[in-house]
Amino acid sequence: MSIWNYVVTAHKPTNVTHSCVGNFTSPQELNLIIAKCTRIEMHLLTPQGLQPMLDVPIYGRIATLELFRPHGEAQDFLFIATERYKFCVLQWDAETSEPITRAMGDVSDRIGRPTDNGQIGIIDPDCRLIGLHLYDGLFKVIPFDNKGQLKEAFNIRLEELQVLDIKFLYGCSKPTIVVLYKDNKDARHVKTYEVALKDKDFVEGPWAQNNLDNGAELLIPVPPPLCGVIIIGEETIVYCSANAFKAIPIRPSITRAYGQVDADGSRYLLGDHSGLLHLLVITHEKDKVTGLKIELLGETSIASTISYLDNAFVYIGSSYGDSQLIKLNLQPDSKGSYVEVLERYVNLGPIVDFCVVDLERQGQGQVVTCSGAYKDGSLRIVRNGIGINEQASVELQGIKGMWSLRSSTDDAYDTFLVVSFISETRILAMNIEDELEETEIEGFCSQAQTLFCHDAVNNQLVQVTSSSVRLVSSTSRELRDEWHAPSGYSVNVATANATQVLLATGGGHLVYLEIGDGRLTEVKHAQLEHDISCLDINPIGENPNYGQLAAVGMWTDISVRIFSLPDLILLTKEQLGGEIIPRSVLLCAFEGISYLLCALGDGHLLNFLLDLGTGELTDRKKVSLGTQPITLRTFSSKSTTHVFAASDRPTVIYSSNKKLLYSNVNLKKVSHMCPFNTSAFPDSLAIAKEGELTIGTIDDIQKLHIRSIPLGEHARRICHQEQSRTFAICSVKYNPSNADDSEMHFVRLLDDQTFDFISTSLLDTFEFGCSVLSCSFSDDSNVYYCVGTAYVLPEENEPTKGRILVFVVEEGKLLLIAEKETKGAVYSLNAFNGKLLAAINQKIQLYKWMLRDDGSRELQSECGHHGHILAFYVQTRGDFIVVGDLMKSISLLIYKHEEGAIEERARDYNANWMSAVEILDDDIYLGAEHNFNLFTVRKNSEGATDEERGRLEVVGEYHLGEFVNRFRHGSLVMRLPDSDVGQIPTVIFGTVNGVIGIIASLPQEQYTFFEKLQANLRKVIKGVGGLSHEQWRSFNNEKKTVDAKNFLDGDLIESFLDLNRNRMDDISKVMGVSVEELCKRVEELTRLH
Amino acid sequence: MGSMLGDWPSFDPHNFSQLRPSDPSNPSKITPATYHPTHSRALPPPDQDVMSATSICCVVANQSYIVFAVISTDAKNILLRHIYQRAEEKLRPKRAASENLTPEHGCKQARPSSSGAFY
Repeated sequence: MSIWNYVVTAHKPTNVTHSCVGNFTSPQELNLIIAKCTRIEMHLLTPQGLQPMLDVPIYGRIATLELFRPHGEAQDFLFIATERYKFCVLQWDAETSEPITRAMGDVSDRIGRPTDNGQIGIIDPDCRLIGLHLYDGLFKVIPFDNKGQLKEAFNIRLEELQVLDIKFLYGCSKPTIVVLYKDNKDARHVKTYEVALKDKDFVEGPWAQNNLDNGAELLIPVPPPLCGVIIIGEETIVYCSANAFKAIPIRPSITRAYGQVDADGSRYLLGDHSGLLHLLVITHEKDKVTGLKIELLGETSIASTISYLDNAFVYIGSSYGDSQLIKLNLQPDSKGSYVEVLERYVNLGPIVDFCVVDLERQGQGQVVTCSGAYKDGSLRIVRNGIGINEQASVELQGIKGMWSLRSSTDDAYDTFLVVSFISETRILAMNIEDELEETEIEGFCSQAQTLFCHDAVNNQLVQVTSSSVRLVSSTSRELRDEWHAPSGYSVNVATANATQVLLATGGGHLVYLEIGDGRLTEVKHAQLEHDISCLDINPIGENPNYGQLAAVGMWTDISVRIFSLPDLILLTKEQLGGEIIPRSVLLCAFEGISYLLCALGDGHLLNFLLDLGTGELTDRKKVSLGTQPITLRTFSSKSTTHVFAASDRPTVIYSSNKKLLYSNVNLKKVSHMCPFNTSAFPDSLAIAKEGELTIGTIDDIQKLHIRSIPLGEHARRICHQEQSRTFAICSVKYNPSNADDSEMHFVRLLDDQTFDFISTSLLDTFEFGCSVLSCSFSDDSNVYYCVGTAYVLPEENEPTKGRILVFVVEEGKLLLIAEKETKGAVYSLNAFNGKLLAAINQKIQLYKWMLRDDGSRELQSECGHHGHILAFYVQTRGDFIVVGDLMKSISLLIYKHEEGAIEERARDYNANWMSAVEILDDDIYLGAEHNFNLFTVRKNSEGATDEERGRLEVVGEYHLGEFVNRFRHGSLVMRLPDSDVGQIPTVIFGTVNGVIGIIASLPQEQYTFFEKLQANLRKVIKGVGGLSHEQWRSFNNEKKTVDAKNFLDGDLIESFLDLNRNRMDDISKVMGVSVEELCKRVEELTRLH
Repeated sequence: MGSMLGDWPSFDPHNFSQLRPSDPSNPSKITPATYHPTHSRALPPPDQDVMSATSICCVVANQSYIVFAVISTDAKNILLRHIYQRAEEKLRPKRAASENLTPEHGCKQARPSSSGAFY
């Protein structure tokens, strides 16, 4: 790999951190707004459910998301604050249907200690000010003026240093906050302050309450008429106001999220750490609170945010499991639950570990993640591309074309599959037993290659061969009419629909026929100057049986032309450029937009916008799909039309949000495809590939496919073993009902096809699985699973004891072969020169696999290396060892065989707190650290002095904005050696927010090109809320902020493809590169993920 | 119990009325379009640095007047502000001995020296 890296998201963040409901897009509309760390999703509530409106990338990690309504406004504004101290206020512009920025700013202070418990952002219910608690001891106020405009911000000193929560109280004549805090004896209290805006100071508030529940962590302000605040503890819930105090005990639980139900604040939904949903009710007589009541409603995903939507529907946003749309029923179900889950929204976060495997052995990587946490833990199998689920397959060599036909015009299903060979045509049909058998259509010519077939009106079928067009009854199967090619001419290419046939013979003759009842009529003939290579008359206008345009691809002048039908008048001629002839043209419509697709003989595909009235072609774009000629066909899946491009790299072309997308089909070379929708195999495709005819159904048309394997426990480490076809995971099961023995730790063995648990080894009490590895040793042909553990004792700060367990898989069972006690936690295990390299607390330790006299095996310590704070992450390459330390960045060690010793070779002297490391190549190492940055360091072998050689030079820096837990070499896409992107090495990463991303090392020339494109895109694509892309991607930690270098933001670069033509033209001019070339190069990058 | 759950609030009774529950094993796949603003209304005015200490201004963008505020923090350090405030108070005629001050004032005045160490 190289130092020039391209970072791109393959799977966007799915961890829902915030949500709110309000009238954002219109006073009459109710919106759900969701924050997924670095993105905001806007939804509209409709009778059909939640309708997604917009996905808005934010150049920051969202710390606060609040809707508020300034005085005199009919709808809500959105306040967003980011973790890097930027904020903005967005307003919906109904005219353009997009958010606009009303205000923005920077609320950072030069001096200050960032709060330990996260940032707090709150808005006064009477819209007098916005309050922010960002630094210990400071409360920042952004006041509104009387016109509702924000004014200059100022700080107020806040005496309480360990703040847990702050909220504004309702119904106060002066803006009043209530502060929940811890004192230096860890006791918890609440206190109120009035904000004196004029004096820029606090005034002691109306009341305070000391000595609350030791687990009190959440405040809920109660709106008028009741007012006051609810304090949620772990064992009690308290209602507090100036003149009332009511408390109720609760079953011990940690409440993570709440959602207000009623406008008067009398009911709240509470979600706890185990996913239980409660309803808290404030009982009151008029405005006087008389008590609190709490009722269990049921179970959901563990909620990080709860938003009551409308009519008993509630959105549960989750960080640890899938988010949900639930309904609260009035009557409990058979299990006593009032909760009904109606929709599930996939969340891969937190991805704690993952592995890249090729389960189907197709050369296509799949990612298997340890996702979720606690009871919502799961494995997720993430796969790129569209799979074909094979239903039947038969060996058939030399297929030249395939078409499906119905036995009558109004039959819903296909009956016949016409398969064409070089000198014959065979017809397959489904028989009564739903088997495919050979049959005959008497009126068809079976001793010749079929060029085209189609269902025609009036229960007819049409077949085109090189000598004639035959019209056949689909019921009697007899020939009804035939059109013969003029003598001396043979038909080269042909196309047809239900009422029309267009064919071309040698010499550039274009002949247009119309189909009547038992009649073929030659309507028009045209002579073109060159031979014709391909044709299409797919009707995309109003009449589904009759096309008004014909697309014609030409030899010699390499053009594509649009003719009108029936008069064959040339409307448009588009020179394709280059020397490669068009091999397949297709008229198609996606999401109401008409396109002409034109596939070339070298695997490139051109697409144009097509004006149905004038035949005009605009917005030409080019992509490279493969290297062989492409054949285009439409097919339907879930009542939507898509295009299948058969080639050496089969691709489905589809449209999403009015943009054409290309998704790989997970098959090797496909020569032909036709839809074959039969009653036995509905929505199936017939696919001709490498001597085989396959009937199969197609996956949902989307880029990434995610399969979920719920575990009911938290998988923390995963490893695949090719030989035993198993996965091993280290997992932890929480048992909330039993407080004493609340955790159990396992090593589990899973079948790699079914994902069933097939064997389990229970670890000791307090023993955590920390690492798992599949490896073999020198002089031993067996493959083992090695598991590293730690005894996590409550009284110890760091583990002082752990084990390395060596298992072998025998008859589907985990068998413990050897174990070795260690003096600390085994954070990492690596196979190393036929030995086992372990990272144990601050030490790197190498173990040999020794044969004892009795024939048994044991791990024997060979050598080690001290000098780390905690050696968390280790990667090896040859004799080199790269260590990612808790807080001492990356260091490079070398194993010296002769001396049997491990020595430090070099280190990065920065104080980075590492979260993952990977070796990109011999000299360049990649690291991720806890401030959400990525960086690369380079070994300096050519340094003049020992001091220089002993330093790892930082060569790349970038703010990813995501917490990376794991890097793995590999790819999500099928890497074809002859494709351009096949040569680009990639690393996959997984993050806490559920992001799966790719880091691709580009050649320098490409990097420079895309760096320039990125710089130009920054000028065109503006950060939402006025946030700067350059600042967002700058490497940032407590000590420094520096511009990103040697990393490119693939998400920004690929958004080039979403721009409208004018913007593309602007960039093209500045770059001095054609739009077509820009699109092609960016599209190629999208094929990396 | 029924009474406690009863009557869920409704903004628009039609919302969710035609919702067809999806197969829970088959998660929702609808993804919204990604928004990339290219209009100039998402940006602060060009002549204004975000970090600078100016406050409100008007921008003309796309023929419509948009009030676009760039907010910054009071440049005066909180400690300086306190010192100035105290200086003003000192100029005022002294009322009484310090023990007669109201508790919150006593509190506010006692601390700045000790909190200086914190900053």
